[in-house]
Amino acid sequence: MNNLYNIAKDLFSTNKVDLIIGYKSIDSKRTKPIFVSSNEDVDHLVFNEYSLNNLSVYLTRKDIKKYNKIGILAKGCDIRAIVQLINENQIEREKILIISKKCNGVVKDFGLEYNEENIAEKCKSCKVRTPKVFDLMIDSEEEKKLPEPTISSRVNELDSMTPEERFEFWRNEFSKCIRCYACRQACPLCYCERCIVDKNIPDWIESSPTQRANFSWNLIRAFHLSGRCIGCGECERVCPVDIPLSLLNAKMGIVTFKEFNYATGMEIGEPTLVGNYSNEDNEDFIK
Amino acid sequence: MYRIKKQDFSKIIDELIKTGNRIISYSNNGNDFKRINSSNELSINSNFKPSKLSLKEIVFPKTEPLFYYKRTNDNVELKDIKFDSEKTIIIGAKPCDAKAFSTISKVFNWDYKDNFFNSKYENTIIIGLKCDYKDEYCFCNEVGLSQSSKEGSDIFIELDGDDYFIYILSEKGKNLFQPFMSYLIEEIKESKVDDIDKIIDLNKVRTWITDNFDSNFWYSISQECLGCGKCAFICPTCHCFDIVDENYTYFEGRRMKNWDACQFGKFTLHASGHNPRDIQAKRYRQRIAHKFKYYFDKFDELLCTGCGRCSRECPVSINIFDVIKEINAK
Amino acid sequence: METNINFEPKIIAFVCNWCTYTGADLAGTSRLKYAHNVRIIKLPCTGRIDPLFIIKAFEKGADGVLVSGCHPGDCHYTSGNFHARRRWILFNQLLNFAGIDNRRVHFSWVSASEGRKWVDVINEVIETVRKAGPFVGYSKMNKEYVYNE
Repeated sequence: MNNLYNIAKDLFSTNKVDLIIGYKSIDSKRTKPIFVSSNEDVDHLVFNEYSLNNLSVYLTRKDIKKYNKIGILAKGCDIRAIVQLINENQIEREKILIISKKCNGVVKDFGLEYNEENIAEKCKSCKVRTPKVFDLMIDSEEEKKLPEPTISSRVNELDSMTPEERFEFWRNEFSKCIRCYACRQACPLCYCERCIVDKNIPDWIESSPTQRANFSWNLIRAFHLSGRCIGCGECERVCPVDIPLSLLNAKMGIVTFKEFNYATGMEIGEPTLVGNYSNEDNEDFIK
Repeated sequence: MYRIKKQDFSKIIDELIKTGNRIISYSNNGNDFKRINSSNELSINSNFKPSKLSLKEIVFPKTEPLFYYKRTNDNVELKDIKFDSEKTIIIGAKPCDAKAFSTISKVFNWDYKDNFFNSKYENTIIIGLKCDYKDEYCFCNEVGLSQSSKEGSDIFIELDGDDYFIYILSEKGKNLFQPFMSYLIEEIKESKVDDIDKIIDLNKVRTWITDNFDSNFWYSISQECLGCGKCAFICPTCHCFDIVDENYTYFEGRRMKNWDACQFGKFTLHASGHNPRDIQAKRYRQRIAHKFKYYFDKFDELLCTGCGRCSRECPVSINIFDVIKEINAK
Repeated sequence: METNINFEPKIIAFVCNWCTYTGADLAGTSRLKYAHNVRIIKLPCTGRIDPLFIIKAFEKGADGVLVSGCHPGDCHYTSGNFHARRRWILFNQLLNFAGIDNRRVHFSWVSASEGRKWVDVINEVIETVRKAGPFVGYSKMNKEYVYNE
């Protein structure tokens, strides 16, 4: 039987992994990341609709990288992050063992009951609910229909405003930012050892949470993730002041798909978007 | 203590708004707080969960200028900030939030009287509200508070049907309500002592922290920590700050004081490149030790009011109360 | 619009050393006149231009930004401008989405021999930005940096 407990126990007893990064239940509606390095704690592992965290954020950490073979519980969206990290040469495919399952969505945030109203927006438009890249599959329910996504209509609503209105919208949203950098730390693709905002000679992005500097920070972060963001929505979930970061990332996802027919993290070995160029790149906006 | 009708309380608030006071009240769902322009916008609800961000922004803003500077050919001109804080009244602060103000006031008046803090704190009046909210993340009773603790509040109100019970606790509170005493009806009420069932021995926790600096425990409880700093920024008692000079032109700029967090990877990075707290375990140890030992050693108070925000909002669900329980059990 | 007639926009031009800068120089030696509103910043290649520079220019008070380099295939460093082009496609749309649209941010290919084209591009950019007006959004954000008695 391919249930999580048996799979995990088997992996340890046959020495196929020396660490499993998974989820543990804290109560009926909340899970947290757990690092299991032996058979002892295997019974804590769970993988359900409350498993919100994107665990691939740990794969680029020095203390995790020292393990030889790492098993990781990953939903379809998390696998896209793993694939992108492999494509960007941050982790080696052979060192990772991806344990996944068919996904019927997760809740928007901690403490919410799993039902139609509380399903995370990203799940509604997800194309990898049955993942294509994985090593082991856990038994789970068949895919079922989820509510219609609303993200593209919200992006379109912004697109239909005048530039001044859009600027005002974002200026207002970014003014709430307190520069806690939770978005950056929770993002699996923000793995730079020294972020651009940490460099202050010269002071490219001012560190004070003023309106101007916040605008700069959020925009540059969105740019550094263009073509790399996999839409896991962790940044928006962890933001303490509820800035709608998923609007920015969704827009860039739409742009990269329209211009380059590219979706991040779908295939291992696919060349990265911004690391390459093509003679056919669109230049009708260039004089 | 006094009894006052809800509508009379609203009248007082409107009068205070008219005389130029800044009134801070929670929003309708209690998730955040804002300035209100009339008593209609008042939102006094003892069932609110602690707001996402704490109230410390009012006396300790996320960014503020310290002075402005201008370079001339052979000199630097400095322009100081004028302290002209608005008279602010916070309405409906939970006991865990009200206490935090008096707690951090100690460090801001320790070896140096921080006028950036004091000028705001002296002009702020806190009207506390008895709390009826409890979830698995709250632990105010473990750190010496309770749902009806009046510590830190200038005025304290308890809901009672269509009325409020008002306790006027400080000079500031007395002066504020002086012109409105006609609305207040004196009444003595039996003070119900809250049943405080503590499970944590704080002395034991403090001793363990002192004796186990190098324990592997710190690594095992913080392995999942992302080092994001959200906990420190939303905490009502965390007060670390960073000072930076920002040049706007070659000649002019400002010196700014911004929120900082010991959880950031580069918080203790020295100019030499050495970083004494180079791994998250050491940084998390610092957080717990500061809150439950160092601050107590210095000021006889914990740097934690048990509001539970950090645990509720932590992206990876690290629960500070669980950590303390584990230490207590050792 | 009446209010814009006397408005002199501030334009920052980030140009590559080998093509556009030389082209601008040619415009100068040929005594071709163009408006004075532009300040040129020379970089070795458009590939060096970080989109952050564009944001920084607006932060510092620019009303418009022009980024210009060698035609594809002519880059002195072979492929710098190809990388830049791909970046610009993304950044241009991101900026547009954030409210900094194509009236304020311009891109061009100007070669070392195209002095005349440089003049045309600059004049076009200046007129477009003049019509768009001062960048009120940014100047509103910049107010807090000025000391007010």
